[in-house]
Amino acid sequence: MTRLVEVPTQFDDRSFDQFAAAYALAADGERLLFDAHAAEWASPYGLVGLLAAGEAAARQGERPLLTAPANSEVVSYWARAGFFREAGDLFEVHGKVPKTKPAVESDVLLPVTSVRAAEDVHAVVSTIQQRASAILSSELGLDPKATMGFAMALSESCQNIVEHAGTGGWVAVQAYNWRRKLARRVVVIAVADAGVGFRHSLEPTQAKRFGERWGDAAALEAALIQGVSRFRDPGRGQGLAGIRRYLARWEGKVAIRSGTARIAIVPRWDDDVPLKDGLPAFPGSQVLLIIPEQGSGGGPSKQ
Amino acid sequence: MIPHIMVQAVLQQSVSGLYTDLVTRPTGRAVRENIERDLPAGSIAVMDFTGVGCLDYSCADEIVAKLVRDKVKVLLLRCLTDAHREAIEPVLAGAGLAVLCERADGVLEGLGATGPAPALLDELIQRRLAARNSGGSIRFTAA
Repeated sequence: MTRLVEVPTQFDDRSFDQFAAAYALAADGERLLFDAHAAEWASPYGLVGLLAAGEAAARQGERPLLTAPANSEVVSYWARAGFFREAGDLFEVHGKVPKTKPAVESDVLLPVTSVRAAEDVHAVVSTIQQRASAILSSELGLDPKATMGFAMALSESCQNIVEHAGTGGWVAVQAYNWRRKLARRVVVIAVADAGVGFRHSLEPTQAKRFGERWGDAAALEAALIQGVSRFRDPGRGQGLAGIRRYLARWEGKVAIRSGTARIAIVPRWDDDVPLKDGLPAFPGSQVLLIIPEQGSGGGPSKQ
Repeated sequence: MIPHIMVQAVLQQSVSGLYTDLVTRPTGRAVRENIERDLPAGSIAVMDFTGVGCLDYSCADEIVAKLVRDKVKVLLLRCLTDAHREAIEPVLAGAGLAVLCERADGVLEGLGATGPAPALLDELIQRRLAARNSGGSIRFTAA
């Protein structure tokens, strides 16, 4: 039997729970059909999250199916964002997929890229420094020195996969006009994996301390707010703390979803909830970093 | 003789691929282990960051903090960019550790936790590796 998992038409961090709810209904061994034919737009978070779902589904049973977006502009954008390059290994893809190479000169600062080992993080950091510098300083109004901090934040986000997920994952970076909240340009880093998640990773060292409170929400709180790591080494837990410092300086946002919970450091411009628990279960961890244009104004709309 | 560590050169020797960025724990560990091989315990060492691109928190901890915690008595960092400092400072401060940093004008200053820095400067002065200027600032004199 094949179960349909609908991909939201506007697929981003806000609609992700709707997607996760459909995914969570699948029973072990059921073949999944991810239906994106009606998709109109997907953020980097949506794209890497879909890949994580595909990997998890393949682990549970048969290779999942994916119906590509029917809209030619949408499917072309997904191809330029590097989605299909990675999706081909995970899904049996149906629908017309253009043979476009991932973009090299556009708002796609880093196409969807697989992260499995430290070498991949090196490659990602090197690429982003070459491509992001101009956009961060000229379009977002960040101090040119902030580019290095951006690369650091990206590196630490990707390392969470290498060090904690127990499997590979994906990262994507994109700049776009964010009409929903800011009417400003933003740069978004999205990282997702279908690995063990924060709760499982931290359980051996932290569960006792939290007692009955222990769960996905407590694990996220421990990692992001308290800077706790699964390693007993005193220097561990620096990565997420560093990301928080960087985002605080540039009024950015970080949100992490893992298992059935989601935590966010919410800047003034956003009305997100700091901690949500009891969400539909979804494997691994999904990280979202948003850095907004500094000051007012904004460039032409791209999305 | 004070060991001078050219971090970028050590990075090239430690990992395959022509990287200029000090990122990820495994890279930091490989670089530190390479440095430790030729570094006597309790030594005073100069670490030069010329040519190093991005330095992330993981590498700052794996290389700088661990060398200070476990291996060297005084570590003097040279040719740091602002971004390098931003990675190293909180990592050291969080662990209650400090290094000395040579500014572009040659003046030495502490980086990391404020407590240990004066003792590090005193150590260099006592060993005649640094001297106090007439203005009160301290410079490294052992080149």
